Amino acid sequence: MIALRLAAKGHLEGETLVARLVTTHKDDRVSFLGRDYQLTSQEGAWAYYSRDDHAIALRGKAEDLDGDVIMLPPNASSAHRLIRANSQHNSLLITEQCDQLCVMCSQPPKTKHTDMFAAFMLACVMAPQDAVIGITGGEPMLYKEQLFALLLQVHAERPDLTFHVLTNAQHFEPEDVETLKSPAFNNVLWAIPVFAAAPEVHDRIVGKAGAFEQLLKTFDLLSHTFAQIEIRTVVMQSNQAHLAALADFLTTYIPFASQWSIMQMEKIGYGRMNWRKEFFDTSTDFAMTARALCIAHGRGLDARLFNFPLCTVPSAYQRYAVASISDWKCKFEDFCEGCGLRDQCGGFFEWYDVESGFETIGYYE
Amino acid sequence: MNKRRYLIPTLAAAGFLPTSSADAAIAGSLPSNPFDNDSDFNQRLDLEHKYTLAGHRSHSSHSSHRSHRSSSSGGYTTTRPAAPVQPRSNSTSPRTVLPSLPNARSVAPLPGNSEKFKQIAMRVQLALISYGYYNGAVDGVIGKQSKAALSRFQSDYGLKVTGTITPEVLNALGIAAQ
Repeated sequence: MIALRLAAKGHLEGETLVARLVTTHKDDRVSFLGRDYQLTSQEGAWAYYSRDDHAIALRGKAEDLDGDVIMLPPNASSAHRLIRANSQHNSLLITEQCDQLCVMCSQPPKTKHTDMFAAFMLACVMAPQDAVIGITGGEPMLYKEQLFALLLQVHAERPDLTFHVLTNAQHFEPEDVETLKSPAFNNVLWAIPVFAAAPEVHDRIVGKAGAFEQLLKTFDLLSHTFAQIEIRTVVMQSNQAHLAALADFLTTYIPFASQWSIMQMEKIGYGRMNWRKEFFDTSTDFAMTARALCIAHGRGLDARLFNFPLCTVPSAYQRYAVASISDWKCKFEDFCEGCGLRDQCGGFFEWYDVESGFETIGYYE
Repeated sequence: MNKRRYLIPTLAAAGFLPTSSADAAIAGSLPSNPFDNDSDFNQRLDLEHKYTLAGHRSHSSHSSHRSHRSSSSGGYTTTRPAAPVQPRSNSTSPRTVLPSLPNARSVAPLPGNSEKFKQIAMRVQLALISYGYYNGAVDGVIGKQSKAALSRFQSDYGLKVTGTITPEVLNALGIAAQ
């Protein structure tokens, strides 16, 4: 597991520090901001950085941290790695608040909110060239005004960056259409969960009455923009029988979606709590998932399998599986040793448990 | 015979021929920046604003705006980078020497309590953060801290110091008030 927080010392007072760590002096657009902390030495497990008279130490290897953007509150014992320069899986957690309570949620909502948009703006401006930045929560659109301002302003300063925003799509309004037509939003992919085309099934899974109805309004609204849309569906016991109908629904009514991600559950948060009730073992019964894939692809919707280890997927469908598990929460099991598919496989979630997981694991030389 | 002669131009017209090397050759022969001293061209780069956010003359009529800078420095110096950000005025002529361009369209003043104002003000706050002038909340409310940041930014970039969101500020930050 890759650390998203680093033990830190040295920043005793003043403002929360948002800084870029550099091993060698850089002379680029970002260095101009005066937020580069230069490596002075590596002493054992600690890397020492300084800027002018201010020195900080972070627990880690300097070569792993080069170009990272960290956030370090005064007197804190650890720093957040807002941007990891060598990772494809950077995301900013806008808020932990949410207006839905999904049965498989991996990040159960909290009531408290801390505004961190200032740090997020700096993190984006200091991100590596062409980075893709995830925007997650909670529900990030609860802070829609700030989020739109962030996306617009980052685009003005860093048009090379693209964003992947995970949203329940309950907060778009007709007034937003004009804003969404801005070129800044060409760089945004909206990832929107739809669990079933049956309103009562979807609403029960997300824990909110009327949620599906609101989704329909949102898709209507987004169809008048050039918004890029990814539909996300977690396969569970309570919606797996509806997958083929959902494929039919998506290809008929949301033909402007660019991708459909069919996902396996993550055993953490509410996902852990509801694992026995909701985990659907696609390794023993892949029929419905297969049908959904076939319908979608037959009608031109690019459907993919997310978080499906290759050995749990029939070989004919393995080409749809994406190595999707973020680097920092991905692991391989003992039995992966010597597997012929390991190089293409996304592995398992860090919190995957063999005992309660997939029953039928294929063997590949 | 004729067919063969037309084949290549047709492909080129359809965009099938590689052009990158030709482009590179052209780019290499261009003078560094022919527009440096072309004020008309610089004005063309100004964004088209539908609104003006700095209509509150009461603020800009205060006699000394520079005093905002000194009075606020106690509270806000920590938010500024240790090395002051260099204005970019060395690469283009300072905006202040340019004649003010009459806007082709009439520009409507935007009430400070409108949603639109808030949205643009939030972008200004985010931009000031990224330029190292502001570290407060992104709330779209131009309060004391935002005004101080605006004044410092205007002063460093050779713009008229008003502590408000002037069209000059919007242009410098790449924000179109639309």
